[in-house]
Amino acid sequence: MNIQETLKQLEDALRKDLEGVKTIEALQDIKAKYLGKKAELSLLMRHMKDLPNNEKPAFGQTINQAKQAFAKTIEAQRNRIEEALLNKKLEKETIDVTMTSPDFSQGTAHLLNQIIDEIEDLFIGMGYLVKEGPEVESDERNFEMLNLPKNHPARDMQDSFYVSEDTLLRTHTSPVQVRTMLEYGGQKPVKIICPGKVYRRDDDDATHSHQFMQIEGLVVDQNTSMSDLKGTLLAIAQTMFGKDRQIRLRPSYFPFTEPSVEVDVTCSKCDGEGCAMCKQTGYIEILGAGMVHDNVLKMSGYDPEIYQGFAFGVGVERLAMLKYGIDDIRHFYINDLRFNKQFK
Amino acid sequence: MKVSINWLKTYIDKPLETMQLDELFTTKSQEVESYQALVNATDLVVGHVKVCERHPDADKLSVCDVDVGSNVLQIICGAPNVKQGQFVIVALPGAELPGGLKIKKSTIRGVESSGMICSLIELGIESKYHYETGIHVIKDSVKAGEDALSALGFKDHVLALDLTPNRGDLLSVLGVAYDVAAMLDLPVEEKTFHVKETSTLNPMDISTDTEDCLSYYGRIIDNLTIKESPSWMKARLIGAGVRPINNVVDITNYVMIELGQPLHAFDFDLLGSEKIVVRNAKKNETFLTLDDKTRSLTEEDIVITNGEKAVALGGVMGGAETEVTEKTTSILLESAVFNNEKIRKTSHRLDLRSESSMRFERGVDPVRTKKALDMATSLFIDYANATVRKGISYFDNTSHSPKPLELSLSKINSVLGSEYSLDYVSDILRRLGFEHTIKQDTYLIEVPSRRFDVLTYQDMIEEIGRISGYDTLPSTLPSTISVGKLTPYQQFKRRIRQSLTGLGLHEVITYALRDADSVYDYTRSNHIKAVSVMHPMTELRETLSLTPINGLLDVVRYNVSRKLDTVHIFEIGKHYQPSKETEVLGIAMQGIYHDYSWQTTPEMNFFTLKGIFEALLKRFSIENVYYEKVSLKNYHPHQTALIKHEDRVIGHIGKIHPEEAKRLDLKDVYVLDVDIEILYELSEPIKRYQPLGKYPSVSRDLAIVCDESILAQHLIDTIKSHTDSRLKQVRIFDYYVGEHIEEGKKSLALRLQFEDPQKTLETKDIDFVIERIVKALKTHHDAVLR
Repeated sequence: MNIQETLKQLEDALRKDLEGVKTIEALQDIKAKYLGKKAELSLLMRHMKDLPNNEKPAFGQTINQAKQAFAKTIEAQRNRIEEALLNKKLEKETIDVTMTSPDFSQGTAHLLNQIIDEIEDLFIGMGYLVKEGPEVESDERNFEMLNLPKNHPARDMQDSFYVSEDTLLRTHTSPVQVRTMLEYGGQKPVKIICPGKVYRRDDDDATHSHQFMQIEGLVVDQNTSMSDLKGTLLAIAQTMFGKDRQIRLRPSYFPFTEPSVEVDVTCSKCDGEGCAMCKQTGYIEILGAGMVHDNVLKMSGYDPEIYQGFAFGVGVERLAMLKYGIDDIRHFYINDLRFNKQFK
Repeated sequence: MKVSINWLKTYIDKPLETMQLDELFTTKSQEVESYQALVNATDLVVGHVKVCERHPDADKLSVCDVDVGSNVLQIICGAPNVKQGQFVIVALPGAELPGGLKIKKSTIRGVESSGMICSLIELGIESKYHYETGIHVIKDSVKAGEDALSALGFKDHVLALDLTPNRGDLLSVLGVAYDVAAMLDLPVEEKTFHVKETSTLNPMDISTDTEDCLSYYGRIIDNLTIKESPSWMKARLIGAGVRPINNVVDITNYVMIELGQPLHAFDFDLLGSEKIVVRNAKKNETFLTLDDKTRSLTEEDIVITNGEKAVALGGVMGGAETEVTEKTTSILLESAVFNNEKIRKTSHRLDLRSESSMRFERGVDPVRTKKALDMATSLFIDYANATVRKGISYFDNTSHSPKPLELSLSKINSVLGSEYSLDYVSDILRRLGFEHTIKQDTYLIEVPSRRFDVLTYQDMIEEIGRISGYDTLPSTLPSTISVGKLTPYQQFKRRIRQSLTGLGLHEVITYALRDADSVYDYTRSNHIKAVSVMHPMTELRETLSLTPINGLLDVVRYNVSRKLDTVHIFEIGKHYQPSKETEVLGIAMQGIYHDYSWQTTPEMNFFTLKGIFEALLKRFSIENVYYEKVSLKNYHPHQTALIKHEDRVIGHIGKIHPEEAKRLDLKDVYVLDVDIEILYELSEPIKRYQPLGKYPSVSRDLAIVCDESILAQHLIDTIKSHTDSRLKQVRIFDYYVGEHIEEGKKSLALRLQFEDPQKTLETKDIDFVIERIVKALKTHHDAVLR
């Protein structure tokens, strides 16, 4: 039997031995049996000295190659055993991935504040500052300086909560405009929006609330025009109700603006065709606006010979109700969390 | 203002009903409330009742033979007032009545009926406009078979306008006609009235002692026959929303609605003199108005007197003593102009607001004062068989001349953002009926007295803009260049909201007004003053809140009562104090925080809320905030603390007292109220990058036992004050009382983390520090290592 055959027999024996080896310990024994000092392979090596010198290198090489091959085969088996052991261990860690997980839900911002944030961002992008002011205001800033002197018939339109003879809960956020114009001293252009809470003597029902949110806007400069107002309002309408919306300006009356307009947006439900939501008109009223009355500019220190401007005021609840089809204004103040959580 | 289209057509002779007036008014003038037929019915004719007999099988029914022109129909009628010889409204078979009722041939108790004899109610004329209960009997001269709606003046449309307070000029058919004319570029044909007078002179001597009466015209009309007005006049009044009464009342109303000038009729025989003196009422003067109420007057009211005593409350209401009745034969007819503010005050104070007072308040055209008197007089001659004495007694201090107004084309274009030409604007002014001349680019406009609302150049620009149509204006954005941004404080508020929603809390908004008693329920001080409204609509909305906690607890209660067991909410609200509003953050939490489902979920407690608050402090790098246990009304006496910074109270945090929670049907509720304006002041913007430590940090645990009463904060403070900046953090990772620990003592395990920017800390470095700490804890707190 030559050496090659002997090695082949040894390798077959090794493979046979390795079959069914499941533990590292057993593997160690096999390793000792085939590669240890007393292993047959080591014994074969001893025959080398009996060989002629010219055959010795080839013989040695053959034996070494076989050693390496045996080691590799044993290593491969070791890897298989380890993998099997690991798999067994991991199998014990099996979980039901469909079990429910902890609730880490985020909270929600109030819908009205979401809309205010959205409009603030729109206007900040157009170069406006956001101005805020107190909710308890003087009659002077809430009415008189807005061209609503005492006994003005239009005061009936804004029945108010007085806290003293000359102080009241503001009926709109326009006093913040007055405050800003006074702060600027009639000297520089004004470009602001004023969000905030306002109060009117209304009985709370599905469409009325004694407390509500308003956003007013004011731009005063040397050539601010009604067309600028129109473009600005179009931006609001398209931001809130979609880029295909159009607006319509209708004549109206507010003591603080002249001309005054009511602003309608084409109905987003029927696209202006007429439906139940827009009462078949194709339009939905969203806000009031106009060119600032000269008396208002004058009283706040702006010279109407030089400056002119526009102002608008929009009810935030109304925007939200129209945008989401909300049927009752009280939802915003009751805060049934099933309602709040819908607006993420 | 409700306007009959037929009435409007007496001024503009065009088929206005086909011209989409509603759309036109909506976009160019005033909001349209409704625009519809006065009577929505078909196939109605005038019938002449030839025969009227009792139904053979029903006592209450009549069988009538009614001539309807083309033939005679047998109609069963249930109305008790049907009689032979009457002219009535017949709904022919096939007719449709308001409410969808369709008339068919039918058999009623064995007798055939071909149509229906109608009442006004069946025509949709509400009962507030007539007293009739049975069928309507036509008193005008009519022919059987003619269109009944035309014969009665009901074939008409009504445009209901929702007027803005400035457009008093539209409180008349004529005023509306002028607006229609401007919008459609049509001419208005003004009417003239010729009064045939008798030779008897009008004896009245009319004067005023007050400037509040600007003009007063009076005529004496005799031989009146008081009766029903003709159908056409009644129909137009009904269209205008006014109830017809009798010819005298109806004529004064009719003229008022047509011209916008209120009139008043005194029974001349009861006037008691041939003199009218207008004056302001005297202090403590009383007056019996025609609704039989005695009114206390003030010096701001205007009274019409007969030279001795008041006979009318000028512009507001007549007096009972000189009221026109069925017996009246002669009247003094008044057409006058009063100070609008005085009328407003009087009518509001006495709550006597009428069609007349409303017109005086909003303004009347002084040119129409005499015209109205003439129009009414000619109607009295025609419809009350009256005669008129010669001459008008009057005084008139009003100006009838147009007011000049100057306006340049460049200003118009600058304000509107338009590019109108001189001719274009000139044409619009012509359509409005505003005479004008042009000098270079400036219009000199004469505003007619009927447009008393157009006072300033801005009013004029509005007229030009709306008639031209706002839809023709371009859409541009302001050319003003400016930087838009939130202030750092506004950003801070947004970030607070973002953090809290990120932590799972829902933002709410609640009402600021509450009942006066509850506003102090959850405050941390009783010494603050609240702001109340003077005339609350309800006690529940009287006083502005002093903490958002009240509103938050309302929301918790609402949701808990709807079986939601987890309510974690916050609101950025205000403390409203007299002349001071402070923005605050309020939080309320009930129910477990982060429900771990089937896994172990920690209980919600004081520290959950404290941890959420501290997450905010960390986000904004706010340091040195500490807590001081406090006892507050309605709070748990041992689980509530003031939140402080350098001796300043900035808020409070705690558990609602179990008794209070029970009262609210709640369980364990934790709340917080903190001043965010101060938090903002304390927040540190990131100024400079901190180099990252090169050397590893080392932590060391200390287990100590000390008296249970010793506050953790004090232990930590002691540790900190006995180390240096290498101590980065101290955390308590275990707390234990009970077995193996002496009664009254507690065991705490603290983990101290050290880091040195210069080198790797060695055991001996730490040992040195720890030794010092242990000593200090022993000295200051009698705390020993376990």
